[in-house]
Amino acid sequence: MWSINLRIIGVVLGTLALYTLIANKIPQMQSEVPRALALGANVTPEQLTSAGDQLYHGAGGCTACHGLGTRAPNLLTDEKGAGPIGARCAKRESGKGCKAYLFESLTAPRAYVVQGYEPIMPDMSRTLSPQQIWALIAFLESNGGTVDVTGSDIPASSTTSTTSTTSTASAGIAGGNTDPMTIIRGAGCTGCHKINGEGGAIGPDLNHVGSRLSANLIRESILNPDAKIAKGFEKFAGVMPKNFGTQLTGAQLEALVQFLSSHK
Amino acid sequence: MADGLLLIQAVADTAGAYRDFPVIGSRAAIWIAAEIHLMFAAFVLGVPIFAVVAEAIGIFGKDQRYDRLSKEFTRLLLIAYSATAIWGAVFVFFLSTLYPRFWAYLTAIFGPSMWVYVSIFFFESFTLYLYYYGWDRWKYGRAKLVHWGLGILLNVWGTLVMFIADSWLTYMMTPPRDITPETSPTSIKLWHAIMNHTWMPINIHRLIGNVVFGGAIVGAYASYRFLAAKTDDERAHYDWMGYVGNFVAMSALIVLPFAGYWLGREIYQYDQSMGITMMGGFMSWLWVIQAFLIAILFLTGNYYLWIGMERIPGAERYQPYTKWLLIVLVLGAIVWGTPHTMIADSRELVAMGGSHHPFLGVLGVMSAKNTAVNLMILATFLSFLLYRRANIRPVVPWAKTGTWIQAAMFAIAAAIVLFYGIRGYFVEAIVRIGYSVYQVGAVLACIVFVTIIDVLMARGAESLGAIQWGKMPARSQYALFILAVTFTWLMGLMGFARSGIRQHWHVWQVMQDTTPYAATPALGYASIMISTCVLIFLSLVGFIFWLGGLAEKSTFVPSTVEAPHVVH
Repeated sequence: MWSINLRIIGVVLGTLALYTLIANKIPQMQSEVPRALALGANVTPEQLTSAGDQLYHGAGGCTACHGLGTRAPNLLTDEKGAGPIGARCAKRESGKGCKAYLFESLTAPRAYVVQGYEPIMPDMSRTLSPQQIWALIAFLESNGGTVDVTGSDIPASSTTSTTSTTSTASAGIAGGNTDPMTIIRGAGCTGCHKINGEGGAIGPDLNHVGSRLSANLIRESILNPDAKIAKGFEKFAGVMPKNFGTQLTGAQLEALVQFLSSHK
Repeated sequence: MADGLLLIQAVADTAGAYRDFPVIGSRAAIWIAAEIHLMFAAFVLGVPIFAVVAEAIGIFGKDQRYDRLSKEFTRLLLIAYSATAIWGAVFVFFLSTLYPRFWAYLTAIFGPSMWVYVSIFFFESFTLYLYYYGWDRWKYGRAKLVHWGLGILLNVWGTLVMFIADSWLTYMMTPPRDITPETSPTSIKLWHAIMNHTWMPINIHRLIGNVVFGGAIVGAYASYRFLAAKTDDERAHYDWMGYVGNFVAMSALIVLPFAGYWLGREIYQYDQSMGITMMGGFMSWLWVIQAFLIAILFLTGNYYLWIGMERIPGAERYQPYTKWLLIVLVLGAIVWGTPHTMIADSRELVAMGGSHHPFLGVLGVMSAKNTAVNLMILATFLSFLLYRRANIRPVVPWAKTGTWIQAAMFAIAAAIVLFYGIRGYFVEAIVRIGYSVYQVGAVLACIVFVTIIDVLMARGAESLGAIQWGKMPARSQYALFILAVTFTWLMGLMGFARSGIRQHWHVWQVMQDTTPYAATPALGYASIMISTCVLIFLSLVGFIFWLGGLAEKSTFVPSTVEAPHVVH
């Protein structure tokens, strides 16, 4: 009986050892905790870039998608002759400089999605502090471009958590433009909704939304999208951003509501 | 938002938020307590499910062997229940003393459900005592049906207990989106917290997983008793019991990936970044290890069946097919384990020639992997089918046609799987994801309809001889041990994946972990923790098995009917 017991113990230990060995032989990656940054007004571009570099390759988790170039554009290598992200960032959206574009990409990633990619980028302001976001922007700019993030950007955005959204709100989406389709494109609505021949099918089709919803309900759906979920789209509850109330100007919101109400 | 997090962090950093555990640290202490509690819980929730099914087969099929089998399962439960409760208490004490602030947060939301949990656990325990100790008293007629009803009630209590506990852990993963770091826990409605995104997918996934796990552990128990058996009769009984355990585990395993897909989809829909962390971020290598473990399960499970066919008269007809099944399984395992789009640094990317191997990388995408796993499931089902009909020759007039129809169903299912697998390379991701439903549908339909035809075809079939239960080489029993260890290890690994995707959050993006152990460890460290937990668990289970042997002699009773042909 002892020999049987020893054989059983051998099989169990051998199997455990094999699995443990294999798991230790593969590349070892630990998910780091983003370190809180204390970057003041006197921070140098080098300090920002260095902090951003560490975040990009570590706790920020950016390389999970951007390091491969398949799920999301590879930001550190050339793209169709346009150079790395620092060289091409100012050319992505017309009228938007590199710094503004990168800030938007990190904090409102669905506002502009590079053609050929899915809108999978999360809003990094949920997990990173303003200091960390600006450090990332500086690092990305340093890859092929010029770092123009300064200490003055950081205090302005970190004094309160709503500073960044407030500054956006004062200007509104798409620079405060009240043309409904410009707002829709600028806010990234077509990433999920279809309207006037544009957009995807993740959210309800907006082409005849005016026949289904009153102006009040449309307004409520924009400001508080999870209050009432359209039938058949329950599984997408929570996907639509809830911050349009702070991003749109009052005039933009009303222009949008009127525009959608007229789509019957 | 970010300032809110900093505020929470600052609050958590103040004294009293955490305490450390000597030597191994608080994270390792919690890890071990939670994991071992979970393993015992899975066992005591999984075994009653098929104990009650076995009892039903005994009652309605009038085969005493199944009734005895069910009782033997339940006897193991009695001791395992105590171990579950002990480890549950260890877990709660560790959590409340090492993570007091987080514990206070959870109890502020879930307090009432914890009281209900305890009440149900109380009912569950006493139902189990009634079920086991009433076995011989309520043995006949209507009383037996009442006894069976107790078994069903035991499962109801167990399922409720699990559902409640699942709500706590799924809340930690996917708290409703309107809950922020600033939300006071006392203001959160209990039902709102329970009905989070992953609650029901986890419930279903665990329900099936528990059956798989319970089957594997029972299989290991039977193999231990088989190896220690003194008589041929006893050996025959435990050989049969091992077969039943393996059958249960492998059958439920076939369904488990579908529940896993659902859970994965819900995680993605809740938060893309969480899904990406899980599948493509720092955890991406975990899935290669998972593929390796599942390949071991498929190969070992099939190997056990193929050896088992050596003790079935007439099975030699089918033995030439096993090498082809082996080829399908090995090729499928290789494809499933092909790495693709793994997180890598620039040096590794250069070494690979890109984000994946330039030639083999084409096998690493989901189209190829889904095709591989579906073909592996079909191959395993075919092994079961050959095993089932090894010692019979159908006599129904349409037997030949029926066999051709079965073969055609296999061919059609395999063709559908291959067609959508290849077509998946030429369509967009969103369309490709939908193809997996057609592949799974084809395989499930094949399994269901082929089984129905087989059952009908086996009616009145000519027997080529009874299965020679007990005439199994010892190596087959060690295969059952490998299955049990692998299932347990896989459970630990997937538990790490589920919990690890929260990264440095106690509650995802609501309550941050600010201990020195907040970083989510790499797979190497995790594997050492998992192996430690598995070793402790299996040692305790071994002790329970030994106690089970002391408590009562073998429950073997001679069969009152000839070994059944259809349900072994």
